[in-house]
Amino acid sequence: MRRDWIYQLLILAALGGLVWLIVVTTQGNLERLGVDSGIDFLFRRAGFEISQKLIPYSAHSSIAMAFLVALLNTLVLALAAIVCATALGIGIGAARLSSNWLVARLGTVYVETFRNVPALLQIFFWYFVVLSTLPESGHSYRWFGLAFLNNRGLFFPAPDAGGAWLALSIAGGIVAAFALRRVILRSRERTGRGWPLLPTMLGAVVGIPALTALALGDSLVWEIPRLGRFSYEGGFVLMPEFLALVVGLSVYHGSYIAEIVRSGFKAVAPGQREAAQALGLSAGVVFRQVLFPQALRSIVPPLTTVYMNLFKGTSLAAAIAYPEVVSVLVGTVNNLVGQPVVIMALTLLVYVAFSLAIAAFMNWYNRRIALTER
Amino acid sequence: MIRKPPAPAGSGIQRAGRWLKRNLFSSPLNTALTAIAAAVAVAVLAPLIDFLVTDAQWRGSTPADCPDKGAACWPFVWARMDQFIYGLYPVAERWRLNLGVALGLALAAPLFFSRLPAWYLAALVAGYIAIAKLLFLGGWFGIPHVPTAQWGGFFLTIVAAVFVLLTSLPVGLMLALGRRSASPLIRALSATWIEWWRSVPALVVLFVAIVMFPLFMPAGWEVDKLLRALVALTVLMSSYLAEVFRGALQAVPAGQYEAARALGLNYWQTTFRVVLPQAVPVALPQITSNFIGLFKETTVLLIIGLFDLLGMVQTAASDPAWLGPGTLSTGYFFAALFFWTFCFGFSRYSAYLERRVAVP
Repeated sequence: MRRDWIYQLLILAALGGLVWLIVVTTQGNLERLGVDSGIDFLFRRAGFEISQKLIPYSAHSSIAMAFLVALLNTLVLALAAIVCATALGIGIGAARLSSNWLVARLGTVYVETFRNVPALLQIFFWYFVVLSTLPESGHSYRWFGLAFLNNRGLFFPAPDAGGAWLALSIAGGIVAAFALRRVILRSRERTGRGWPLLPTMLGAVVGIPALTALALGDSLVWEIPRLGRFSYEGGFVLMPEFLALVVGLSVYHGSYIAEIVRSGFKAVAPGQREAAQALGLSAGVVFRQVLFPQALRSIVPPLTTVYMNLFKGTSLAAAIAYPEVVSVLVGTVNNLVGQPVVIMALTLLVYVAFSLAIAAFMNWYNRRIALTER
Repeated sequence: MIRKPPAPAGSGIQRAGRWLKRNLFSSPLNTALTAIAAAVAVAVLAPLIDFLVTDAQWRGSTPADCPDKGAACWPFVWARMDQFIYGLYPVAERWRLNLGVALGLALAAPLFFSRLPAWYLAALVAGYIAIAKLLFLGGWFGIPHVPTAQWGGFFLTIVAAVFVLLTSLPVGLMLALGRRSASPLIRALSATWIEWWRSVPALVVLFVAIVMFPLFMPAGWEVDKLLRALVALTVLMSSYLAEVFRGALQAVPAGQYEAARALGLNYWQTTFRVVLPQAVPVALPQITSNFIGLFKETTVLLIIGLFDLLGMVQTAASDPAWLGPGTLSTGYFFAALFFWTFCFGFSRYSAYLERRVAVP
């Protein structure tokens, strides 16, 4: 025991010494190079524009604001890609499980093609090859005069006035749906009967924003993109960089999710399906109540890894200059203020914090759906 | 005795008909699915085949051979093949790369057939890295020095992937052992180190290595850019492998540890003579699939200005003489085919290892 403690102290001392050596050397180097330290630069005027901003920002804003804009861009990209990759992965995974030979084969070809080609190469392909063939503003692809796709991006209408209320009501609808779900499930457990679950939830998600829109009436104005002198103006726009990244990241990570979904369902013992069918349950109930919950248990842990990889993968955006954390902080801000130590630490912390958050959320979800042993 | 099921009745055509009915047209829904899938396949594959094969330019090796830039331009790939393989390495010195890679393959070949003692393997790896460094970098006995700035293409991809794998295997193993150590301090340090590096993107770690590493070094110490990048990738890969090794170590039954300690073996003897020989086969499939990930991840090197295969393709396609959407996409397809062949091959190998491990 005693010897163990001595060893541990020695290791601690050696590590402490190493860290101290690095810190001292770095400080010396920073002084020699005349680099400031500290985080004062965050409150300086940024002086550069950012091409996609979800919150008000201009060149007059502070660098801290620029960081916030970039962080939101990372999060929006990650969220969009996670949703698309999951939908795509479930679809392809289901295709691979299909009894239809052709559908299953196409699923296999998809997975084996996109899983074995680097994500960066795929993003380059979508950005430099596919999206570069999009027409100029004058010859946009158009849908009903409302949405437009051209080489400047995807334009669609956005609520002008009253938009905040609408966004709030959508969030409220989702919260209400889950609250209703709880109530319905409770009453079902007590009485064995109750409201239909899915229609009620859908009703809340769609109904509450619809009612809000009706109530807002004239104060809700939609701004439709119009062709200006150079490009479409007004409404909401998704940059080509964003589109290429969402497509590239979802196609790449979707192939991993497809494999996870497939092996998750394969892992459910065939006796489960047969027993459920023998009880006379309908195909829908067999899937929803028997197969899916069991498959989900083996799907969620590896899915966590894919989500974390996808989140880390959003950093590839720096290669095509989509303004997310890496390209704004490491690219623009570091060139501007030249404080690599603080900026790198900040960037690393962003990724560690959100990776841990994803892991924590997925672990919580995993515990919630785990088999409760009685 | 197990009997084979009787051969299905009917002629070949009848059997094929039954197969089609069962697998493609068993119900109206299934028939509709088949039709949709066929339509999707044709809609995707037909233009692709047109672009890559039918309409493509195959012959020649100069920009003049690709007048129609709307289709694939294979002369671009033929003309730049040397650069895609060797990067900007001087033409007269390329035999060194061929020799080094051949030597590596020759040394690695016996590993697939026989089991070698660990110390022998370690000596082999260390020896090979030293020889490869002398050969590739040069600068001795009249062999000209080739700075790493001229390394590139397929060669750089292979060097990065192999070097990082070889260095991160021992480091990852040590981290995994640290995470299972009896000492709480070592356990906490290893776990923090592993989880920290597992949750940050390779690109950011590469930037850290490029921008911050020089600041950690005393003034006047210059570390080569490629080496810095490789160290960064090793830090990442060893953290991934540490988790692989940890899983494999956990798969070894506790009775094995106890029996070894009961025989009076010490920690290192237990680890290297009893536990690892059982854990490594379990870890091999996962190590292989992590290597595939690493192989694909090397493309990120181009963002920090090292020209791996994809970087070479990008550079070559931006040459004004070759400029055009046809050349760029042909280059991408060539690079994709290259990466696909390697990664698919490794994934088959990983699946084979997994089957071999599954059968006791």
